[in-house]
Amino acid sequence: MNYFVKGNPDLCIGCRTCMIGCVVAHEGKHIFEVDPDSYSFNPKLHMVKTARLSVPVQCKHCENPACMAVCPAGAISQKDHCIVIDTDKCMGCKSCMDACPFGAINMTVQTGKFQADGSEKKVANKCDLCYGLPGGPACVRVCPTEALTLVTEEKLGEAMEHKRMEAARNTYRETHPQE
Amino acid sequence: MKKEIGSFVVGDSTKCTGCKACEVACFTVHNRKSNHVGNTVGTVTVPVTPRLFLTRFDQGCMPIQCKHCEDAPCLNACSKGAISRIDHQVIVDAEKCIGCKDCMQACPFGAIALLPYAKDGRLVAQPMSEEPKVFASKCDLCAGIEGGPACVRVCPHQALRLVDPEAEREEKNIRAAESLLLTKDWR
Repeated sequence: MNYFVKGNPDLCIGCRTCMIGCVVAHEGKHIFEVDPDSYSFNPKLHMVKTARLSVPVQCKHCENPACMAVCPAGAISQKDHCIVIDTDKCMGCKSCMDACPFGAINMTVQTGKFQADGSEKKVANKCDLCYGLPGGPACVRVCPTEALTLVTEEKLGEAMEHKRMEAARNTYRETHPQE
Repeated sequence: MKKEIGSFVVGDSTKCTGCKACEVACFTVHNRKSNHVGNTVGTVTVPVTPRLFLTRFDQGCMPIQCKHCEDAPCLNACSKGAISRIDHQVIVDAEKCIGCKDCMQACPFGAIALLPYAKDGRLVAQPMSEEPKVFASKCDLCAGIEGGPACVRVCPHQALRLVDPEAEREEKNIRAAESLLLTKDWR
């Protein structure tokens, strides 16, 4: 099973530290110490704030990803419990953006790369669970209210098993009220 | 919010009946001024050159058209500089196009066809050839045409949709965030 990061709207205070953590991890720069023009601020998760809630939304790393199915360039693939985009193969056709039901993919400028007419190259951008980076997803690590969790197959499996046992116990109690 | 990426039209094969009204409407609106095409068949004196292509496949049919890619392979492949990005959309300059077919080969969707080029109700001839001049015909999202994409407007089954990708993404984000409220006690 693919892993994914999940936000809890009850704990999230909308501080956007996750977005900054994401950019720092992927840019490999301490962004507050360098020239703002020397890096791209392209977080791979999106803070949603409505009257009811605040929570970041990011890729669910689906098991049958619509984005992967629709990509004409073969730029989206599954690797080590993760759905990743090869930005060198991506041509910015936006098919994945249209296909994703969560709005987890946006198009971002690839710094220093240009099209034939001199305009900036834009490619698909989404959570890669900090693929290849040490320490696991940066957003989870930096969140001050611990509102983000990396959900693994093991954790989800345990939770489901736990819920099934509870359901079985409750049913048993109903049929054996005297015990 | 400032628009930063191109829009595009997509077809829905579950609604499309293959009537080609989209192709006809596309040709009509693009040739009203340049070729005096009106609302009746009698006004058409030039070949019908659509910019989207009704496509039949095993499971049904739907029109296929340009996605206005953000790193457009057609634009990058054009040696003549005939394809450019104007107001975030990928636009072919039919006058500049020399029909080299590179853009057709670069496009992964088959969204470009080489079709005869007509002006003032007549095919444009070229020297030393019996064949008329052609141009790379692809969707320009009805740039400069009032009312937006004609294909979307004319489809009798609402099988075509104009996509503003960033606006739709933000709406989907909100729905995804709200569903996190329902699953927050997943443990």
